[in-house]
Amino acid sequence: MLNPDLLALFTTLKLAALTTMILLLIGTPLAWYLANMQSRYKVIIEAIVALPLVLPPTVLGFYLLIAFSPQHLPGQLWQQATGQQLAFSFSAIVIGSVLYSMPFVVQPLQKSFEQLGKPLLEAGAMLGAGAFDRFFSIVFPITKASFITAASLGFAHTVGEFGVILMIGGNIPGETRVLSIALFDHVEAFDYAKAHILAISLLAGSMMLLAAIYLLNSPKRDTFKGEVK
Amino acid sequence: MTFAKNNPQTLSINIKLSFEKFNLAIKEELSLRGITGIFGHSGSGKSTLLRAIAGLENKFDGRILLNDNCLIDNTNKHFIKAEHRNIGLVFQDSRLFPHLTVLGNLTFSAKHCKNRQLDLNEIIALTELNNLLHKHVNELSGGQKQRVALARAILAEPQLLLLDEPLSALDRQAKAGLLKLILKVQNKLQLPMLYVSHSLDELQQVCDKLLVLTQGKVTGYDDIHSMIHQLNSINQEVSHSNSNQSEHEKTPDLIHKQTSLSLPVKITDNGHGLTTLALNSQDEIYLPTSTEYSTGACLRCFILATDISISLTEPINSSIVNHLLAKISMIEVQNNKVLVTASCKKIDGEQLFFIEISAFSQQKLALTLEQMVYLQFKAGAVRTYLY
Repeated sequence: MLNPDLLALFTTLKLAALTTMILLLIGTPLAWYLANMQSRYKVIIEAIVALPLVLPPTVLGFYLLIAFSPQHLPGQLWQQATGQQLAFSFSAIVIGSVLYSMPFVVQPLQKSFEQLGKPLLEAGAMLGAGAFDRFFSIVFPITKASFITAASLGFAHTVGEFGVILMIGGNIPGETRVLSIALFDHVEAFDYAKAHILAISLLAGSMMLLAAIYLLNSPKRDTFKGEVK
Repeated sequence: MTFAKNNPQTLSINIKLSFEKFNLAIKEELSLRGITGIFGHSGSGKSTLLRAIAGLENKFDGRILLNDNCLIDNTNKHFIKAEHRNIGLVFQDSRLFPHLTVLGNLTFSAKHCKNRQLDLNEIIALTELNNLLHKHVNELSGGQKQRVALARAILAEPQLLLLDEPLSALDRQAKAGLLKLILKVQNKLQLPMLYVSHSLDELQQVCDKLLVLTQGKVTGYDDIHSMIHQLNSINQEVSHSNSNQSEHEKTPDLIHKQTSLSLPVKITDNGHGLTTLALNSQDEIYLPTSTEYSTGACLRCFILATDISISLTEPINSSIVNHLLAKISMIEVQNNKVLVTASCKKIDGEQLFFIEISAFSQQKLALTLEQMVYLQFKAGAVRTYLY
């Protein structure tokens, strides 16, 4: 039998990796759309995306718990489609994490797309590059640092999540029991030795990840200097 | 090394656009031989027109046809995207891709070109970029950036090349270098170009035809020299049109009244640093230049109307080297100035000269139409941009 804390680590990493991938897939077009949006409704979408930054995670978790229950439509649809209950499942905490970490991925991408502006894209179009081509051959390489930042922040924030998962995931080993919850369990059981190990590992891991981001984004590594008007 | 494909002959424009303070209504058929200049002050609509042709601007009514190929037609919602128009554009600010080297920028363009006919190495040699290929674009000077931008645009093998104020960020020496390169490219590739600028001097040096825009309307479209000459009379309104522009752009003398010439070189450097141009079998025009020209090559130059004076007798005892006998064909009074038009015989036809004198001088000399007078101007008053 695997050490329960190692299992929690494995669950956490799986959750964070999957969440980050989904966020990059959803967040990139959303950030692009927001960066190029002229409409006055832009602020509303921006506010919704930014909401998890200020909202207590338990509020988000509470509403998700209700939505995911078999009595309500999202939960019902899920159950019909997969034959399994959505609440207290790994899928539930993935969905919760995606919503909760959204601003950490969308905001840096949106900012870098806005900074890039249209000039280079127009230059690309005049050379015959279509929209997707322009994105992958011009936008992505120039804003690569922002993608790394967005992915790292999304990943780190998901690892550090607690409230949302507690509300919608419960504490099922191998399914929804992540590191932060395992730590909480140890503290509740007054097992401070184990709690110390988890706490210091999370602290060190987060610290190293953030240091790596700042190192990557330090000015001399930044290829895009904003010189193009 | 020319394009085997058939380049378009005509560009038919009929567009209308109105923003809050800006109205544009252009209806003109341009023949795309050589380089066509589009001249106007900021706010005249020249950049908007260029962006409309490029496909970067589509919020207007009307249509644009390149030969029979409709680029945009709002009545039936037809719009060809910029990337499908096969039109090149050299931007004022280069817009090189900062994540690529010079070579990377060039191959980006070549890779996107369907039916490639130009050889990358030949274009690199033509634009003299051999030594810069592996440099990062941020290391380049303004002139070098524009050379890369020009090469990159050519390598996409467009059927029409648009140049949007390509020299405006460059110093004088770099300007001359790039103008020469544009002419060289045009000669080699026979690629039709539309050249937008607010500098008449630049356009005078390279364009075959000139379209003049004032406040979103066409003021004139003609052969380069005659269009510049027409501006001498209409330039009051062209220069004073930009009243809502910022102070430094308001200077009314952005268009200098001038004589625009294109004459064959007779003798290069006569030993005193002067080059001789042949006006006709007898008359010559001297200008100071140390550059070697091949005899017979045509040189473009211009003389400001304020740099020519009129004498009733032949000024043989003068240090001024250029004096020509000419017949007065027009006298226009413009405030306290008088613009005199006089014609000289030229090898093929006649050459007009434009002279600005004060109303006081006109009163003293009492010049009349058909009168024969001597025009005099220093060699240094014959200006050429390129050399």
